[in-house]
Amino acid sequence: MALTLSRRRFLQASVIASITGAQPGHTQTGLGKKIVVVGAGLAGLNTALILQRWGFDVTVVEARERVGGRLWTLDHVLGSPEGGGNVIGANYGRVIHKAHELDVPLRTPARTLPSDYVIGGQPIRRDQWATTDANPLPDDWRSTLPERLLARLNNRNPLLTTRAWHDPTLMATDEPADAGLRALGFPEAAIRLIDANNSYGNNLSETSLMALYRVMGEFGRLTGPGLAIHEATAGNMRIPEAMSRQLRQPVSMGDPVLSITQTRSGVKVSMASGKMVEADAAVLAVPAPALQQMVLGLPDSQADSIASIAYHKIIQLHCVAEQPFWEAAGWSGSWWTDGLLGRVFTRPIPGDHRYNMTVWINGDNCDALNAMSKADCTEAITKALWQLMPAAREVTEIGQLVRWSEDPFAGGSWALWRPGQAAQAHDAIRTPAGRLFFAGEHTAEAYRGMEAAMESGERAALQVMRALS
Amino acid sequence: MRLRIYCRVILLLAGLQSGYTRAETLSPALLYDVACSACHSLGSTTDHRVGPPLGDVKRRTAGAVKGYPYSQAVMDSNHVWTLPTLVAWLTDPEAMIPNNAMNYSNALTAEETLRLAEWLLEQSGD
Repeated sequence: MALTLSRRRFLQASVIASITGAQPGHTQTGLGKKIVVVGAGLAGLNTALILQRWGFDVTVVEARERVGGRLWTLDHVLGSPEGGGNVIGANYGRVIHKAHELDVPLRTPARTLPSDYVIGGQPIRRDQWATTDANPLPDDWRSTLPERLLARLNNRNPLLTTRAWHDPTLMATDEPADAGLRALGFPEAAIRLIDANNSYGNNLSETSLMALYRVMGEFGRLTGPGLAIHEATAGNMRIPEAMSRQLRQPVSMGDPVLSITQTRSGVKVSMASGKMVEADAAVLAVPAPALQQMVLGLPDSQADSIASIAYHKIIQLHCVAEQPFWEAAGWSGSWWTDGLLGRVFTRPIPGDHRYNMTVWINGDNCDALNAMSKADCTEAITKALWQLMPAAREVTEIGQLVRWSEDPFAGGSWALWRPGQAAQAHDAIRTPAGRLFFAGEHTAEAYRGMEAAMESGERAALQVMRALS
Repeated sequence: MRLRIYCRVILLLAGLQSGYTRAETLSPALLYDVACSACHSLGSTTDHRVGPPLGDVKRRTAGAVKGYPYSQAVMDSNHVWTLPTLVAWLTDPEAMIPNNAMNYSNALTAEETLRLAEWLLEQSGD
């Protein structure tokens, strides 16, 4: 028995030593081969750290002047609200482990205040939703709150496995989400309400029903006791920042990649500054709209697949409320509307008497606002806010406008799938093209969001190591 | 259903072991590091990671680590972790135990999955 334990401990110690780089035998996988990782978001940084750990010489290049990509903590706004990825799911094992490993403290987020509703311009108290005449839903749907309508898809979710959402057989039955919901018996009023604030498609007619099943299935998996969500206490961007500090070579910032050419023995990466980086291979860990701006010489079918992916439109206006002005009028603090404002999420700032209030507009509802200048867009949203909540005007400070689809290095908040599209495109966008490899949340299989980025980094690193070891 | 999965795994193992050369492959320690270590330690008690520890996995009954909040599906499965069951699980967890909580997509080749499973079992000692 003592011998068994001692052998096991020896093996465990060997693994730990190899992972931390203390044992030279295991770090020779990369043999110092050089890899350029394009993009310093979670996907690129995770790829880079894995490859570095296993002996590769890694250079990360980033177009922005900061790391984190679509993680963007607004440190200049009181309460440091998240302009990008805000939720670390209870099952985001890779993100949670990385934060733990790098001493980035996590906490349970302050609870967002409950929502009241504004439908057709009429404010409705949350507790009156089921009974008010302003509720447009038929009798057997009236008691379902607008933000929970889509979850009724889980009553008969056909996606039994992680990969099924892009399985070609199931995809053959895929259809536009609005038609699909109709066929499933969702009333027109419910479809309109879902479309008003849908985080998973710009409009339901161009959204894959299977993609919605995927999202709802994932939420269904997360229901249960003890599954608390997290956020980084000092802001989620602290996680990629801490990851970037682990790199032996600092991230090259503020220099977008213009093109990559492949030679017989490697790649040549041309930067906007005129600099050229040569390497054995490149990992492209940027969103599809950013990929499209680079000259990569990809096969036509792969380039077409990348070009075909739509990205979700989000506009946020981050504000700070000095006091809970909504209480005097008997409102709950947050709002769900079918108008210009979309949703308003209000939550207390931990350790402070004030509140972060974020207007959150989704999908095609952003189009008119995205066509405006930044100042006009801010003014239009602010005007709608004061109209809904006149009492807010004197006690609310307007902070930061965030428009993800206007960001050339993101092109939107996350990848969307059109009906039937994922059957072919999902494989195409993650298949290596010679010495070019692909990572990013859009290439992930099991997860969405931050964990998808981390997952994709593991897969891309494995592909690189198989090809170059 | 379970019998069918085992048969597939046994055929896979036989095929792989008969003809595969193990040179020039990624080490199982690397495969564990990349594909498992973020969620599973090699210890024997739970920690901050979202998955159960794998240190004593050999011949352990699925769902047996004290204090780990397993899904009911895993608790009810009565699987014992051996090479065929572990390979089947890593290959497609949902095919083996539907409604389990591990949201995992295997990015390894069949041969890598086999070597990783063998290695994980070795970590338990004899």
